[in-house]
Amino acid sequence: MFCHIFLYRIKELLRNPWHLAWNLIFPLGLATAFFFGFGNLIKDDPEQFTTIPVGYVKEADQPFDQVLTALSKDRKDPILKVSEYKDEEEAKKALRDGDTKGYYIQKGEEISVVVGRNGVTSTTLHQILKEYENQKRVLETIGKKHPEKIADAVKTMEKGQEFLRPHVFNKYTSVYMNYFYSLIAMASLYGSWLATTMLSGISANMSERGKRFESAPVYKMTSLFAGILSTVLLQGIFNGILVFYIQYGLHLSFGVPIWQVLMVTTVGGAMGITIGVFIGALVKKRGLQMAFSLAVSMVTSFLSGLMWGEIRQIIESHIPVINRINPAAMLTGCLYNLGNYGLTKNFYRDLYSMVILTVTLLLVSVAILRRRNYDSL
Amino acid sequence: MESEIVKIDQLVKRYREKLAVDHFSMEVRQGEILGLLGPNGSGKTTTINCLLSLLKYDKGNITVFGKAMRPDAYDLKGQIGVVPQNVAVIHTLTVAENIDFFCGLYIRDKKKRKQCVEEAIEMTGLGEYRKYYPKKLSGGLLRRLNIACGIAHRPKLIIFDEPTVAVDPQSRNAILEGIREMNRQGATIIYTSHYMEEVEELCSRIIIMDRGRNVAEGTTAQLKASLKNRETIRMDLVTCTDEIIRDLKEINHVYEVKQEGEQLIIRCDGGTHNLLHIMGYFEEKNIPFGRVTTELPTLNDVFLEITGKELRD
Repeated sequence: MFCHIFLYRIKELLRNPWHLAWNLIFPLGLATAFFFGFGNLIKDDPEQFTTIPVGYVKEADQPFDQVLTALSKDRKDPILKVSEYKDEEEAKKALRDGDTKGYYIQKGEEISVVVGRNGVTSTTLHQILKEYENQKRVLETIGKKHPEKIADAVKTMEKGQEFLRPHVFNKYTSVYMNYFYSLIAMASLYGSWLATTMLSGISANMSERGKRFESAPVYKMTSLFAGILSTVLLQGIFNGILVFYIQYGLHLSFGVPIWQVLMVTTVGGAMGITIGVFIGALVKKRGLQMAFSLAVSMVTSFLSGLMWGEIRQIIESHIPVINRINPAAMLTGCLYNLGNYGLTKNFYRDLYSMVILTVTLLLVSVAILRRRNYDSL
Repeated sequence: MESEIVKIDQLVKRYREKLAVDHFSMEVRQGEILGLLGPNGSGKTTTINCLLSLLKYDKGNITVFGKAMRPDAYDLKGQIGVVPQNVAVIHTLTVAENIDFFCGLYIRDKKKRKQCVEEAIEMTGLGEYRKYYPKKLSGGLLRRLNIACGIAHRPKLIIFDEPTVAVDPQSRNAILEGIREMNRQGATIIYTSHYMEEVEELCSRIIIMDRGRNVAEGTTAQLKASLKNRETIRMDLVTCTDEIIRDLKEINHVYEVKQEGEQLIIRCDGGTHNLLHIMGYFEEKNIPFGRVTTELPTLNDVFLEITGKELRD
């Protein structure tokens, strides 16, 4: 029964011209439009990673010196090109003159970073300092409590740094890729339309077809999960086509192995589907379902940077909680972090947020939809 | 005694303040075609939705095949076929795929299912349209597809909810003949409609519904026999006097005489040769008259007499 419903749902949805247009063709068209809009900017992006010239104002020798030295050497394309300045005024002048993108400054035990403007460079400089501070704190704690284990801890951290390198300093990503990340998020959330269509076909209170379906001897959960799985698969395929098109058709790199991107976009697709299931569980009228799905997709995609690339960063600086609850921002952030920094804490935070949101909405929706008779039809 | 397939006992269904079904009871016996007749909004579809356990209801009991009907009574649902009022098919599947999909919800065995689908296609005359998508079908063919999707799994009980609404006469006749054929093959049928001619023509027993209540039931003959009015005679008359009306009322079995424009309407409560007696009166008095028609009672008369309003209202 599960397979029967699953296969027919796939057939039914794949032949639906409306869904093909909005869930597949429209995102591909928009990706093409973005490409013609600023494709060259992506390829020649000044923010695309090159060695970052950075200033350093030091008062005394510190372990941070070694970090900067390590990042300036030992690589074909060094991450940093460090110039030392005797005081902050000199460093500021170099920043103003464009000789550096920012500078680190020691004030006693504290080290801070000053950057020219927001972007990948500034994020990278902040990230380096943050990593250093984290590691320093951990080492200090171990040194106090378990001095005999300090050598092992240093080794572990060195490994961690190696792990970080190939991603943090990816050469091929661009800030303009944010638009494509948001586009993928929007396409994923369009999955909610697939879900509402699927739901209307199995719920007696939504359509005549649903009445006929619920008159049949079919377990509600069987039909619901067969429907959800079919839509997740379809949306996953649509997302995959979009990702392949961006990477191989438009030659814009995600900067990481494509299977990692596909994994993230599949989770994103599943999230879009469960949002649709949730909307379908709450709203009975088909027109309203479509309106809610569209509103959720567009508003969240806008806030994730679909039309204004920097908005997600601005929200992150001022009201980060919005990015934590915005599904499109979660997916955009996930792809951004993956492409620029690899499998970091922030990447997993966004990935887990998507998974948690998906599972939560699914459980709530199932609780609502599991009823099999209605007060009115 | 014929066994009882469906029993609805004192069913009550409210939509907030509105009482949609009011202590409605009915039985459906094996092998019969039961007509559920009533004007739009009389509670027919609500009753059917309660019977199928799609709708919650406030009071009453419903049993199907002797067991309580519940939303999870899958063994019972498997023996029921439903043809809903509006066409309920999938527009991105072909005719054959639609029938196969809905049939597959009841029959898992692929070989058996294939056979059932073919039979349903043949019975509804959709053979040459099997690869058509529903949007390419005419209204009548769509209705046939709607029926095929509901009957392909060979149910023992089939519920038709106004299947001929907005259907051309040719398709309508084909649908009614198809229903008779299914009944001949052993299916018990519940047929809801507000078209009294259809119900009269098709059904072996009729229940008349009004405002959610069972107002009358029986065979067509039984329902008509319960009427006071057995014959209505209409006569075109240029001049009608009070004396004529008084004289006519004195004729045996005439119980009502009234004038509507230039037409005299005479109602009789039984007897034979009423028309002859009335025409004899006019000839005897040498009163000229025009066209004369006589009508036997219809189900509309039954409805009118019981509820005081026309079924067609």
